[in-house]
Amino acid sequence: MASADDQYDPTPSDDELEAHLQTRNMVVNLGPSHPATHGTVRLRIELDGETIVSMDPEIGFLHRGFQKSCENVTWTQVLPYTDRLDYVASLANNFGYLSAVESLMGIEIPERAKYIRVIGAELHRIASHLTTIGASGLELGGFSAFLYAIEARELLTDRVTELTGARLTTSYGRIGGINRDLPAGWEEKVLKSLIKLEELLDETDKLLTRNRIFTDRMRGTGVITTEDALDFGFTGPCIRANGVNYDVRKAKPYWAYDQLDFSVPLGNNGDNFDRFYLRVLETHQSLKIIRQCFKQMPAGPVMIDDWRIAMPPKENVYSSIEGVIAHFKLVMEGVPVPVGEIYHATESPNGELGWYLKSDGSGRPYKCHVRAPGFQILSGLSKMCVGRMLPDLIPTFDTINMIGGEVEQ
Amino acid sequence: MRLGVVFTGVALIVGALFGVSAVAYVGGAVVESLMLEKLGISGGGHIVQILVSMLLVVMVIATLLTLAERKWSAFMQDRTGPNRARIALPGIKDSPLAGLPHIATDVIKMLTKEAFRPATANKFLFNLAPMLAFAPAFALFAIVPSGPTLDIAIGSYAAKVVMSPTNPDAGLLLMFAVASLAVYGTSLAGWSSNNKFALLGGVRASSQMVSYEVALGLSLVGMMAAFSTVRLAGDDGMAAMQARYLWSFNAGGFDIGLPAWGIFLQPAGFILFFAAAFAETKRAPFDSPEGESEIVGYFLEYSGMQFGLFMISEFVEVVVLSGVLAAIFFGGWSLPFGNEWLTMKLSAISPILTGAVFGTIFWVKVVLLCYLQLVIRWTFPRFRYDQIQTLGWKILLPLGLVNLFVSGALILRDPSLKSLAIVGILEIVAVAMLTLTPPRQVRREQEAASHGGGHGHDDHGHDAHDAHGHAPAAALPAGTAGH
Repeated sequence: MASADDQYDPTPSDDELEAHLQTRNMVVNLGPSHPATHGTVRLRIELDGETIVSMDPEIGFLHRGFQKSCENVTWTQVLPYTDRLDYVASLANNFGYLSAVESLMGIEIPERAKYIRVIGAELHRIASHLTTIGASGLELGGFSAFLYAIEARELLTDRVTELTGARLTTSYGRIGGINRDLPAGWEEKVLKSLIKLEELLDETDKLLTRNRIFTDRMRGTGVITTEDALDFGFTGPCIRANGVNYDVRKAKPYWAYDQLDFSVPLGNNGDNFDRFYLRVLETHQSLKIIRQCFKQMPAGPVMIDDWRIAMPPKENVYSSIEGVIAHFKLVMEGVPVPVGEIYHATESPNGELGWYLKSDGSGRPYKCHVRAPGFQILSGLSKMCVGRMLPDLIPTFDTINMIGGEVEQ
Repeated sequence: MRLGVVFTGVALIVGALFGVSAVAYVGGAVVESLMLEKLGISGGGHIVQILVSMLLVVMVIATLLTLAERKWSAFMQDRTGPNRARIALPGIKDSPLAGLPHIATDVIKMLTKEAFRPATANKFLFNLAPMLAFAPAFALFAIVPSGPTLDIAIGSYAAKVVMSPTNPDAGLLLMFAVASLAVYGTSLAGWSSNNKFALLGGVRASSQMVSYEVALGLSLVGMMAAFSTVRLAGDDGMAAMQARYLWSFNAGGFDIGLPAWGIFLQPAGFILFFAAAFAETKRAPFDSPEGESEIVGYFLEYSGMQFGLFMISEFVEVVVLSGVLAAIFFGGWSLPFGNEWLTMKLSAISPILTGAVFGTIFWVKVVLLCYLQLVIRWTFPRFRYDQIQTLGWKILLPLGLVNLFVSGALILRDPSLKSLAIVGILEIVAVAMLTLTPPRQVRREQEAASHGGGHGHDDHGHDAHDAHGHAPAAALPAGTAGH
């Protein structure tokens, strides 16, 4: 404002007379129940028109005390809890956890069990990727592509049911190997399912990647720089979309991955399309891995031959004192894990699934912490979306594939 | 078995359309002559057309489209579709009846559900919005002719029947005027419900509909110029004029040739109009005002029959758009070949039969165009809000202007429209070739992605590698890409 001393100027400038519109940014709560939030997460978004000014992902709606629960049960009994972390790929969690416990104990599992673990983990990697690929279509209004992908995933769910007895909560494998060998005739059925799956995947792929509207909406949206992605601790497809070649299966091979021939697809833009298409390419690699596994898999035991770790066969429990003692000790005290701590990581569909386990030798975990890949990626979401439009958030939220169960333990 | 069901269904639909068309002609003639005789008012036949084509046919097709959309999307997606709702009567209680009971349950649900209004909503505008959304969509059909103009005589009642609810001189201009009213319904719905998501939807809807009006109007100017009329119905309307041939020869009484259909004269205009009108109906891929996975939609707070009005107005828009398309671009009620032959044969029997057959041809075209819209809706993902604006202003509008100038020049040079048709057919060939050519660019990129992925060091792999180098990632275990 001009002070009274100033000379009065009878001809005011234009901007002096302009009445400024009082605008306020709009705050919108996306979630916890919103069609685009898979799982339950709340995104508090400040909007200027349709442009995102600031964003704050808020988790906690699915928190169920995973870590505390683990401290109250034996090492084996933790297994069912791991099903519920990344519920789209529960086998990857099961086997990742078992692998971590085995490294803490310093034991080596039989060769056949290693291959079965690879097969299981890759089946569920495909299932998880198919869900993400299909959901990309769903989020953008292309419902048909989603159902093609889900039809393919359903085939895998059926095969996993035959293998483990459950569609979702598999709880498959035990410390020291696998509790049951593959069912008779399962291999042929899986190989046939994979052929059908490949057809459906190609169909979904064609429906989406050759659609101009789809590529326009995916390319150049949800971009994150490599530096930012690494700072946030991105892993899995989200970091490989930036061209960073980091895959635990190659970087630090576990199970039978060093004996298998597969490549790690890389993107270079770090946008939604790269994250989406990388998953399509990874699915093809997983199919290749599974087919190799069935060819290379040796016959033999699937469980370690040590009654301190593996359950003794039932006939031994009923007929020998050693069997009874081993059974009793395993059931009452659990698997003896030596005092120590370990960080062990496997490659889950969404990235590095790390387990920080600490044992005080009591038969129960002293501490069981999961480095869920989705948590780090979700924290980077606002970096990807601020300054962009609200509709860009939707495919971005899909391609980072946050799974509520593993982010909120 | 299945084929039998399909044939029965098709026969039922065609038969129903035939019957309705015949009723429209007979009723039109009777009412027209009665009103002229008793009250001295002409144009009474239009009342019958309002009742028959707007209230009966359009509403019934729109209602059945809700079922068709479910069934057809299910078919496209390897699902069974609606089959749970059944009628507990002996004989049919185990049959899903092709999902027909679903329509009944839907209607009962919507009518009996509480029409909830948020406490903070503006009551007047909130109640007004669904009506404003429904009425213009419905009224659009007023100018669409559903059959040829014929002299019908039944006993002592004889009259000239014009088969459209109205036939104003303004014609298409009336359609544009009414269509532009539809934006009030959606934007008021978004604004008055006092919900942030609904507001976003309302804003998106109004910007989309306002900007597409321009392209919508422009895309039809070529057709108006070609036929020097803005009327659709009547003997000098666009629909009737498309029946004549540009080139034809007579094969033993049966005429074959290229009719002056809008699609041949103005293929660019057709594509532009179809895109713009599709955006006006707010269905996928232009459904960003609804965007159920993003902002849920401008009708977020509506329930009960108020929501039902929004829903049914969408389907009415589909039928109306099909009717307009059929009348402007697909020759109205005329056949592409043998039209004169059929007219001759039929009018020798009875003018009512002529009317009923050509009315059926028109409605079958409408149904097929509805089907085309369903396929598009279930195939494409959704545009982003700003991409819709880009498409409207930067692609459709300039293309519309170019199309207008080219067509105008061609019409001036050759009023017989033959050169316009030649250019039009060249356009169709060009579009077909573009569509059938495999997208080379995408394929190359796919190969690059998998290739670069496999080895990680060739061509664009370098950028990624450099970025990797000076990032904290150097600490990460060096992965061996490929093998």
